[in-house]
Parts: sequence; structure tokens; C-alpha cells
Amino acid sequence: MLYPLIAGILFGLYFSLVGIGLNLVFGVMRIVNLAHGDFLMLGAFVAFGVVSLAALDPLFAVPLAFVVFLVVGLVLYRLLVPRLQRAKDPEMLSIILFFGLSQVIEAVMTIGFGTSERSLPSRELGRSLAALRVRLFGGTVDSGPVEILGQSFPAPWLAAAITSLIAIALVYLYLYRSRLGTLTRAVMSRRDEALATGIDVHRVSAAAFGIGLGLAAISGVFAPFMFGSFTPAFGVDATVTSFVVVVLGSLGNPLGTALGGVIYGVSYMFVQTYLSSWADLLPYVLLIAILLLRPSGLLGRRVRVA
Amino acid sequence: MLKRAGAACAMSLALVASATAADAPSEIKIGTLFASSGRYASISMPVHSGLKLWVDAKNADGGVYVKAFDRKLPIKLVAYDDQSNTATASTLYNQLITQDKVDILVADSGSVLTAPAVAIARDRKMFLFDQTGTGASFFSKDNPYVALMADPVSTVWPKPVADFLIHDGPALGIKKVALLYSTNEFTGTQATAVRNFLKDSGAPIEIVYDQGVPTETTSYTVIINNIRAAQPDAVIHLGYAPNDIAFLRNVQDVGIKFKMLFCIYPGLETELLEKNVGNKGLEHVFTYVPPSQLAYEPDFGMKLAEFRAAWDKKYSDGKVEFGFNSVAGYTTALVIEKALSEASSLDQLELRRAVFGLSGKLKTLDGTFALDDTGGQIGELTPLGQLEIDEHDHLKFVTVYPHEVANGKPIYPRP
Repeated sequence: MLYPLIAGILFGLYFSLVGIGLNLVFGVMRIVNLAHGDFLMLGAFVAFGVVSLAALDPLFAVPLAFVVFLVVGLVLYRLLVPRLQRAKDPEMLSIILFFGLSQVIEAVMTIGFGTSERSLPSRELGRSLAALRVRLFGGTVDSGPVEILGQSFPAPWLAAAITSLIAIALVYLYLYRSRLGTLTRAVMSRRDEALATGIDVHRVSAAAFGIGLGLAAISGVFAPFMFGSFTPAFGVDATVTSFVVVVLGSLGNPLGTALGGVIYGVSYMFVQTYLSSWADLLPYVLLIAILLLRPSGLLGRRVRVA
Repeated sequence: MLKRAGAACAMSLALVASATAADAPSEIKIGTLFASSGRYASISMPVHSGLKLWVDAKNADGGVYVKAFDRKLPIKLVAYDDQSNTATASTLYNQLITQDKVDILVADSGSVLTAPAVAIARDRKMFLFDQTGTGASFFSKDNPYVALMADPVSTVWPKPVADFLIHDGPALGIKKVALLYSTNEFTGTQATAVRNFLKDSGAPIEIVYDQGVPTETTSYTVIINNIRAAQPDAVIHLGYAPNDIAFLRNVQDVGIKFKMLFCIYPGLETELLEKNVGNKGLEHVFTYVPPSQLAYEPDFGMKLAEFRAAWDKKYSDGKVEFGFNSVAGYTTALVIEKALSEASSLDQLELRRAVFGLSGKLKTLDGTFALDDTGGQIGELTPLGQLEIDEHDHLKFVTVYPHEVANGKPIYPRP
């Protein structure tokens, strides 16, 4: 019982990171970003590039991926979203548009890099921090598993979980302690009212879109370690799981996404333990259950308008 | 009178010959599917590339000899991308038969994407050249429209592994076995076969863990912990290449060393697994020994070294790995070539007759092509081997079972 519980919390915290960017984008713009998982896949390629081209610790890919995809998000927003929101039914149109974008990204990456699985050695993750620790405090570089309450877990899982907690805390601070974040929450709450009160909705939305893609790319950096390997086609499954995590928690609340991720992770590990053949059904079962029992999500205050 | 009869005969022959020439198509259409993306891309693309290599080589040489028309005909390869999706594959198999009207139907790689083709080919009375779809349910005496080209049928394939456990296991101290498999036709059938071989043998071996997981599984950490709790002496993991990558990496990451660990793909796609898991993660892993390590002497087609050279020249960008599946695609092509050179027409049952006629007689770089009466491949068997690291830090295969082909002893338990 203890092992799947701890594994589920670590695994789930990672999925919180996977979903939190989607939460921001959907919450602010009511846009269904079906290409979310593809940006995660691109983040994995950034990590791959950082290791294979620059021989650096994949952790360096975290800020790099965030900055690169923040900029990509700002540009994409300007190109796509204002036009989309002038349409009669932007939500429905966004599904088609971002599905198309997802296909294009996957096709381009397949042409460029082929279809084979890629991964990164687990010992590479955090080796710069380990070397720094050895220099400061002595000891040896240990790339083995980490012990939590007497149980062994892959070290990258802990690294991903800690990164996820930091990212959730930063998003929380952004939303609740910064001016732009306050405006973002206003847009999330009522976009039309925010517009009427003079809030620069496009500026707020563009920032949220950029941060959303940046967070997706950060989660992608850890994907080779969490899923064994990745391919250009990897994004679709990640998108589905992200939606489950976001809907489980609640829109617009980073703590909700964290909770959604942990519930998903713990449930997944227990299903793998006791009903392993059915593990793939879990996201869909959770999605149906939450929509039937509490459509606003576990931490939601009211039923979504979207 | 004799002169007249002779003239009549000559005229008849000339008419038949001209009619045959007139009826000869301008090309032979081979229809197939491949998966350029999705779960099965890494096994589909090498197979497809192996087939395509043969098509391009034959066309450069003026085409393939077709006995039915007594001439060489260029090959038109009609190939669609099913993106690893069985629903898309079903539509495209139908399209190949009804709209493209291909002469020869070749399945995509692997049992999952072959499964829809088996039913469709049977309904449409098209003989299916099944490349690597080894699922046992594909082959039955009442279905004459399928034969397996390049892999042993799943009910036979794991026999060397099971036999090793049964005959050598008890002496080594193997008494408890854990069986983990992906729930698809390919690995599900192999799991059933292992289970049955062990049970029927009466050997003192107990299966202490027996679980299936979805083929899409990418995280095995909890499962590995559960297997460890069962304290097995040997772990048999049956999955596709991405499953093996994730499983072996997770085993490494949690620091567990099972006494014996068997996986399918370290042997079949060694380059891919080495790239993703690393030498250390593959050291001492038991796996199937591929044809590349056995160096079969073919009596038809290229030798392995020649094929490898041709592959490296054609696919120099390295986007598709060379391995067992690339050999499988080329083997399928050789069976097609040989069958076309022996079939008296392109009638589907005549093609079947030609293919079955090759059984036991055709030796390719993949070994001896041999079919049972249902179309299941029973030649081309892969012995059991163990991966070790040599003095140059490269992986090498040590064949450990059957004893008559073994070139080393198994290292058990894993150090």
C-alpha cells in the first residue's frame, strides 16, 4: 500500500506540471489547446538537444525550454488567437485549429527526426547539482534510486515532483501576488466584464498562453525520464491526461491542478497494482466520474461556463 | 496433313503467346500499409523500409520476374500510412483491395496492425502476406488466405525460453517465474504459450506473478516493485519495443537486479534498445538471438552483410534503425519474389500454392522459411541468448539454448 501511494504522489505531482499550463490557457481564453501535448514533446526534444549537442545537465533545459516556448506562445497567440476569438464559436473552432496545429507539429518533427524512440540516461538528470554537492560537502556522485520511507524510487521522479511543486508555487504567486496575475484571474472569471473594465485582455491572455506553453515544455524536459522514451507522436496521450488532471482539479486554480494530478497519479498506481490490465481506462473513468459528480472540479466553486 | 497440323499448332501457340503478352499488366501492384507515427512506428518503419529497399532494387533492375506472364514487370508499391491506428488500417486495407486493386496484399508490421488485415483479406479472398503479425488466432485450417513470412508464430516463438526454464531452470535454481506481458495479440499469445509450456511440462516451476498491462504502458515502477515482492527467480517480460525500453529503464532506475530477466526487443531491435537503455541496462538480459547473430547462409537473396551494406547506403540518415524487423521486411519481399517466379497466375489461391510450395525449401538471411498447414511460420526460430558486454564495451550475444546451437553458458543469477 505504501509503495503505490508514494509512487502515485510523485507521479501525480509530475502530471500536475503536465496539466497546469493547459489549465491556464483553457481558464483564461476558453481555448481547447489540443496541441498541448505536442509542446510537451517539443520540450523533450529541447532536453535531448541540451544533452546531445551541448553535453549539459538536462536541468539546464528547464529554463531554456520555458523561455523559448514563452516566446513561441506570445508569437502564436498574436498569429492565431485574436482571429479565433472573432469567430462565432471560438471554443469549437479552437478544437479544430489546435488539432491541426498538433498534426503539423507531429508531422514536422517526424520528418525532421524520424519515428524512433529517444531517451536520455537517468544519471544525466541533476548531475550538475550532484557535482556541486560533492564539491561543497564531499561524498560521491550517486545516480541510483532515492529512498523515501524505506522504499526505492527513481531519482528523476523526485526531481520532476520537486520541479512541479516549484512551478505550481510560482504560478500561484503569479496569479495571487502579481498585478498581471490579478488581471488574469479577472479574465478567467468574466472575460466580457474584464474587457468592459478596461483590462487589456489580449495582453493578459498572451501572457497566459506563453506561460502555459512554457510550462508544457518544462514538463516535456522530464518526459524521457518519466515515460522511458519519447517520439514525435507522443503528444496525443499527454494531452488527454492533461485534460483529465485539469478537469479533476478545477479551472483557474493551480492548487486544483496539483490535487487533480495527485489523485490521478495515486489512482493510476493502485489500478496498476490491483487491476493492471485496466490501467489505460483510468483517465476516462475519472473524467466521466468527475463530470457526473462535480462538473466544476474538486476545488471549483461553480459550474464552468465553457 | 502433318504440315497443316503443325501450322495450326504453331498458330495456336503464337496466339496464346500474343494473348499472354497482351494480358500482361504494365506493372505488378503490391499494396501495403506502414505506420510513420504512433505506438508501432518503431517496428513498422524498419519492416516497410526493408520491403521498399527490395522494390527499388528490383525496379532498378528492370522489375521482378513474373512466371504468369513470363517476363519481368516493374513493381508499383502502393503504401499508405495507418499512423498505428487499427481503424485507419481497416479502411486502408479495404482501399488497397477495392480501389487500388493491388495484385499482392502485404500487411503492416506487428499483430495489432495485421489483425484487421486478416479478417478483410479473408472476406475479400485476397491472400495476405503477413510480415510479422504472429498472433496465433490469425492462422486456422479454414482460412487459406494468410501466411506468416518472417517471424515464428507466437505459439511457437517463446518455446526456447520456456524449454530453457523447464530443462535448465531447476538445476540453476529457477523455481519461481514472474510473467508480465502487454495485452495485445502478439505478446498476449506468447504469454499464453509460456504459461502452457510450463504447465504442460510438469517441471517444478511455479508462476508466482502473472499480470497483463495495456500496451500503452510507459511506467513500470510500481509493477516492478510488485514483481519483486513475489520474489521470482526469473522474470519474463513480453512487450513491444517501447514497453521494453520503459521497463528496462525503470528496473535500472529503482536499482533492482532480477536474477534472470527476459525481454523480447533487446534481441530484435538491439540498436534501438542500446540507444535508449544503454549497455549497462542490457547486460545479462536474456532475449531472442536474431538472425544477424546466427549468420544463416541464404540460397536466395542477399546475405546479411550485403543487406546491411545496402541498407546503410539507402538509409544513411539513420532515422530508421537496422534490426530484426528490417530483415523481416526484406524476407517478405524475397518470399513474394520467389512466389511470383513460381505461380502460374496471379490468382490469389495460386499465389498461396506458390508460397506454401516454398515451405522448407527457401533459405534466406532470416533462416529456413517453413509453414505449417495453417500458414503459421514454424521455421526461422530464434534461440535464447544473453547479452553480455565484451572487452571493447560492446554488447555481444551469447546463445545459451538450445544446447546444440549454444556458444556459451548462461550467467545466473545476474551479478
